[in-house]
Amino acid sequence: MVFCISGILHPVRIGMRSFVIAGGLIAACGSAPVMSQELNIYSHRQAFLLNPLLADFKKQTGTKINIVFASKGLIQRLIAEGPRSPADIILTVDIARLQQYAEKGLFAKVSTPRLNKNIPAHLRDPKGLWFGLSKRIRVVAVSKSRVKPGEVSRIEDLADPKWKGRICTRKGSHVYNRALLASLVAAHGEAAAEKWARGLVSNLARKPQGNDRAQAKAISQGICDVAIMNHYYYFKMKKNKKNPAHRKWADAIRIVFTNQRDRGNHVNISGVGLAKHSKNRKLTISLMEYLSAKQAQSLYAEVNYEYPANPVVHASTEVKQLGQFKDDSLPIATIAKLAPVAQRIIDRVGW
Amino acid sequence: MTANLFKQTRIARDPVNGWSLTTLVFALILIGPFGALVITASGDSGGLWSHLMSTVFPRYVANTLWLMFGVGVLGLLFGITTAWIVARFSFPGAKILEWALLLPATVPAYIIAYTYTDLLEYAGPVQTLLRDLFGWSSARDYWFPEIRSMGGAILVMASVLYPYIYLMARTAFRLTPASYFEVAHLNNRNIPFTVDLPLARPAIIAGLALVLMEVLSDFGTVEFFAVETLTLGIFNVWLGMNNLTAAAQIAGMAFIFVLALVVIERIARRRQRFNDTAGRATTKSATPVTGAKAALCILLCLLPIVLGFVIPASVLLSFVLKGLAITNLDALAAATFNSLTVSLIAAIAVMAIATVMILATTYRKHPILKVLTTISALGYAFPGAILAIGVVSFAGGVDRVAAYLGASNGLLIGGVGLLVLAYVVRFQAVGHGAVTSGINRLSPNIMSASFVLGRSFTGSMAYLAPPLLRKSLMASGILVFVDVMKELPMTLLLRPFNYETLSTYVYQFAKDELLEESALAALTIIIAGLGPVILINASQRDKT
Repeated sequence: MVFCISGILHPVRIGMRSFVIAGGLIAACGSAPVMSQELNIYSHRQAFLLNPLLADFKKQTGTKINIVFASKGLIQRLIAEGPRSPADIILTVDIARLQQYAEKGLFAKVSTPRLNKNIPAHLRDPKGLWFGLSKRIRVVAVSKSRVKPGEVSRIEDLADPKWKGRICTRKGSHVYNRALLASLVAAHGEAAAEKWARGLVSNLARKPQGNDRAQAKAISQGICDVAIMNHYYYFKMKKNKKNPAHRKWADAIRIVFTNQRDRGNHVNISGVGLAKHSKNRKLTISLMEYLSAKQAQSLYAEVNYEYPANPVVHASTEVKQLGQFKDDSLPIATIAKLAPVAQRIIDRVGW
Repeated sequence: MTANLFKQTRIARDPVNGWSLTTLVFALILIGPFGALVITASGDSGGLWSHLMSTVFPRYVANTLWLMFGVGVLGLLFGITTAWIVARFSFPGAKILEWALLLPATVPAYIIAYTYTDLLEYAGPVQTLLRDLFGWSSARDYWFPEIRSMGGAILVMASVLYPYIYLMARTAFRLTPASYFEVAHLNNRNIPFTVDLPLARPAIIAGLALVLMEVLSDFGTVEFFAVETLTLGIFNVWLGMNNLTAAAQIAGMAFIFVLALVVIERIARRRQRFNDTAGRATTKSATPVTGAKAALCILLCLLPIVLGFVIPASVLLSFVLKGLAITNLDALAAATFNSLTVSLIAAIAVMAIATVMILATTYRKHPILKVLTTISALGYAFPGAILAIGVVSFAGGVDRVAAYLGASNGLLIGGVGLLVLAYVVRFQAVGHGAVTSGINRLSPNIMSASFVLGRSFTGSMAYLAPPLLRKSLMASGILVFVDVMKELPMTLLLRPFNYETLSTYVYQFAKDELLEESALAALTIIIAGLGPVILINASQRDKT
């Protein structure tokens, strides 16, 4: 590691020998791995969530996989690296982020029969710049004991004054809520979406805080009766082996798929794109195909309780117990386009 | 031949060039990332400002100022009181409290926020106990302060940030010459307010500046407590509105605000001198106290330690003991090794660079260098993730030049070296503050004497600076070390493939509010910080 510092302090080579040494030092600093059977992933998902998915691919192909996980700024890192970037593939959650990579020209187009067959058209970029891998359903969680079945059936209901002081959410500016609001903008227009958001904010039991889990916790504690959350958190809490408190929170809530009689429940995706400057395109595309195919898709379903993007793969047994539901078939790219509009509404109403 | 000889003599007589040049190079490297941010900010913000001004911006600014004010006042209260007590009095346990007061510095703010929430929220043990005791059944039956609030944020941030003030103030108090007290005593003056505080002012201000910059740039705690500050706004604009330009503009405004504060403070003490030129540099020894007075001393010192260390560490420990933590010892060992090495390297780098820059600007009064040095020490005022973008863009530029010169792989991006550079940029403020307050206490006569005795500038610095500045350097080294151990957003974005430090390891779980699963790693951050804290504190104790 000390060597890496000397790499910084003496970036200019003097003579051939020091060039060789400098080259060796830089490689020792972990810059760009050079072996051909290696893939480099930039990921917005934690490595420990990816490893089970990748284990089999590694075994099958003998590929070594390197991961950098960060939640913010990977786009700027890619831009700064430019053509020298070692990244081969980018994995993200949230559609807006995928779209940002696409808009900045950081993805290369991919079109293979397998990928196009595995991922339905509304869950991938029309130009082939990105592909959705799993669906995350933003559902409403209600108190089993204090909210009757059928009392909430549409997301629009949450603006009804009857819920005054009974709703909990995380902050509006979180990507999940912003995307949800963007879907309302798409459905009803900006003014109506703003009116809804204002109604929702005036119904809140406490100022927006915590993550999705914290909202279920608040329902179990009687702080509120209704919350918005991503569906898989319900199962993560319910199946938490270590911490019985999480199971208690899950037991207090019932999951409601919204808008089943009209446009369907809002859906967000996690997805993948091929880095424009990947030096390993063929291998990377085979990883993308692998991630969209049955085995990895089932793992998505099992490990993280997400809905597979590939329609022939079923949700996990637990998730299936929630029953059939209809998701919003709005092209997912529209959500990304409307996200900044949604953020402005969030600023105006103070969600 | 003659010309050559002449040239050599001239250089030997005027070593300023070497020092000034080195300082200039350091300053430019450190300011490079700010420059990259200025370029980012100079784009078109797409008319976002009118929206921001009419909606969230006034609230963000007001909240930020309140938070800075609150943490500043509470941090000063904790830091100065305890520093004064341990410097002026000796009482049972004083030796332990003296270093224990530094322990909260090892606790990352986002972890203390999490642990306090766990403790004080509705489902936490405190409220559960109260409900059981008084027979309340729901949240509507009683009032309990909301920890996820401005007040909560002020309390937890002050509890872990006061050590900056404490450490610097304590060093200053200890070095105050005894003669001043004798004079004050003869004149029947209030000693703490006429001698201690005024003389420790540069040190206290340096500590306070660090605290305020940390508050301004904090994201983890304010996000967790849902306190809407400028930093939260920066992230909403950047990630929510996909507008990095406007985000960099807000960050730039916050930066200018900090710069203004620094300049105002400088002007305010321009004509003051804080060093002792009398030959007799004896210092005052601590007054022994016993009984009620000693008890009061102990109690006052224990308060911030309990708030900033005992409580959060106990909560983490209870997670581990309850078996909620993941115990992957291999991963933990690797992360610990990475954290320790990179923190040590960064600490040494910051101290070395700060010393060179400040010696050069203090004794070779070059106005432009002075300004550059001051600016280069303000990286702390940027939110870490934004500064990381400045660093990565700057490094991208360097790598482009390197590629042009023939280095095929990137030189900086993706290497541990970039992390070290980032830490130096961010934590230069810590080194700068400590070394500056150390130099302010040195009598200029020492250096003059050295010059008169025929030692060259470089010789004088090399001979005199290490012993005279040792305490200040150690103090800044320890703070940088624990700061790097805790640092998250820059490490996360800039680290190489498959490289985990303790804080990135903790974050994987903390991101989903599952801190209990990474409680062991979080505890390790704290424990790993203990060693250096104790060690370096011991080196501070002996008289210089």
